[in-house]
Amino acid sequence: MEPVVQFDNVNKSYGKHVAVDNLNLSIEAGKFVTLLGPSGCGKSTSLRMLGGFETPTSGRIMLSGKDVTRVPPNKRNVNIVFQDYALFPHMSIAKNIAFGLELKGFDNQRIHRRVSELLELVQLQDYAARLPAELSGGQRQRVALMRALAPDPDVLLLDEPLSALDAKLRQQMQIELKAIQEKTGKTFMFVTHDQEEALTMSDTIVVMNKGRIEQMGDPNTLYGRPGSVFVANFIGETNLLRSTVISSEGDVAALNWNGITITANPGGLAPRHGEHLYVVLRPEAIHCSAAEPVSGNRVKGKIRQRVFKGNHTSLMVEVGGGAMLNTLVHPSDVAQLGGEDIWLGWKPETTTVIPDRHAHN
Amino acid sequence: MRNMVSDAPRTTLTAFYWAFILYLLLPLTLMMAMSFKDANFVAFPIGDWTLDWYAKVMQDKQFLEACLYSIMIAAASTLAATTLGTWIAMLIVADGIRGRTIIFALACLPAVVPGMISAISLRIFISTIDMPTGTAAIILGHTVHAVPFVVVMALTRLRSMPRNLVDAARDLGADGVVAFFRVTLPYLGPALFGGMIFCVLLSIDDFVRTFFLGGYRPTLPMLIFAKVQGGMSPEINAMATIVLVVTAAVGLYAEFITRRARTR
Ligand SMILES: Nc1ncnc2c1ncn2[C@@H]1O[C@H](COP(=O)(O)OP(=O)(O)OP(=O)(O)O)[C@@H](O)[C@H]1O
Ligand SMILES: [Mg+2]
Repeated sequence: MEPVVQFDNVNKSYGKHVAVDNLNLSIEAGKFVTLLGPSGCGKSTSLRMLGGFETPTSGRIMLSGKDVTRVPPNKRNVNIVFQDYALFPHMSIAKNIAFGLELKGFDNQRIHRRVSELLELVQLQDYAARLPAELSGGQRQRVALMRALAPDPDVLLLDEPLSALDAKLRQQMQIELKAIQEKTGKTFMFVTHDQEEALTMSDTIVVMNKGRIEQMGDPNTLYGRPGSVFVANFIGETNLLRSTVISSEGDVAALNWNGITITANPGGLAPRHGEHLYVVLRPEAIHCSAAEPVSGNRVKGKIRQRVFKGNHTSLMVEVGGGAMLNTLVHPSDVAQLGGEDIWLGWKPETTTVIPDRHAHN
Repeated sequence: MRNMVSDAPRTTLTAFYWAFILYLLLPLTLMMAMSFKDANFVAFPIGDWTLDWYAKVMQDKQFLEACLYSIMIAAASTLAATTLGTWIAMLIVADGIRGRTIIFALACLPAVVPGMISAISLRIFISTIDMPTGTAAIILGHTVHAVPFVVVMALTRLRSMPRNLVDAARDLGADGVVAFFRVTLPYLGPALFGGMIFCVLLSIDDFVRTFFLGGYRPTLPMLIFAKVQGGMSPEINAMATIVLVVTAAVGLYAEFITRRARTR
């Protein structure tokens, strides 16, 4: 199938500063795609180029098979939900939503029908006559979303739309947003620097760093099989074990980590003896016990810090040579560990191996 | 008991405050009081009170014509100044405009040039371009004088406007013109309204520019000036009182409206 959105070698520089560096990306129709990355990595710039508010320094942007690189924003069939909502303060909620429809030249009856339909979708029928200032943050958010959806864009762009909401409301809106996306079948292109938000909602996550795509994939893959140290660190909590290769044969590599021998699956890397590697070990992949595990990788350690987090307790365990492992246990299991000296074990297949050359980022 | 010495600065300040209020209000109060005096000359004691002077003023054709003329000039110059001032303010905040500081400085210049100098230079200007003195020249003069106030008020409001508002309008299909009239202009509304009232008051009040640029038809200040030359009479007091009350009411109303819009 033809992609709805396609970035071909898109660059954007501000003077000497490169904001977006050779972006290549295609987005399939009906998907929820998230651009994820730290502040200043070029997420908003990419989105604004697709919206028509910035012109690429070079490259081409295709929308539904048409080259829109130099088409002004009012002539492209995409709509943005802005971070601060940007609702028109002097217009009622209904008028705000009708704005795009009026400019499309729809007749009054059709506009009225569409506006009611959209207000109903987010249960704001009773608020049609109110001004934006008379709504709560979450309600404004919904109105902004409906205003952008009203003209039926090919792609809906959302630039950190939830960042102004408090934590609780934010979680609720994440679920609601995903539900609306599924119900309408629209392509959503969402921007955030919050990895949890990205994991919750996306079909595809595009991790960006310094204007480039670092890795792209579904949430499971990105979390379970990060392709670089940057991605491993950015998505979820992680232990990075810098190790030296002892031997490697097919799917099994023996590695030396801090004087301890561990095994891992090197994937397609085929590392040579003496080469350095990173092993990505997620805290929840580690099993803590009082007795030594019978199989898999294991290491003895001493609990240095416990942090109660409600549904789990986070442990910092020192494992010799000053190395620390971050792990977590169920609060009710903490007592069974006995004292401070415990065993940590993990299955080799739960880890991912990353070559060291990516580590410079 | 509080120390008298430490209270002294406070007491002095309060005394000055009341002295200031008195100084501000006394001349106006006197002027108003005299307009009710039942005699032909302005002096104490007032003796009998009357509303005759007001009745006389309201039937004075000269006065009514001057009022109308002043209002007409004020309306025209306000319209011109608001349009021009808004346009200049938009220019100053636009992307990729060079020399915005210079544009701003030039736009504000007429507000700081002394009225006399401004009046003379305008007079020289109109005679250079062969423009006759009279209505058009006065409107020109008042417009130039009022533009800076509109620019400043529009700019203040524009700077507080979320940038994304215009982007959102463009995004939803509006071209630059539609975005301006449907989003920017309504947003500027309260500021422009305040600015317009201010322009009207400036124009009604102006004497120097009108004197240099005017023809034979007198505006309100010119009429009152001419009458004063002919000797003080309570009729002039009544005229001035009417002007004072009306302009003060309009000014306060405008302040009230803009304040309410701002706190919304
Ligand atoms: N108009 C501009 N002029 C100059 N530099 C800009 C401009 N807009 C963005 N940049 C720069 O381009 C880079 C990318 O900016 P962008 O807004 O895309 O970041 P972002 O990923 O959206 O970050 P954030 O999460 O903070 O919103 C930044 O370094 C920024 O300073
Ligand atoms: Mg951004």
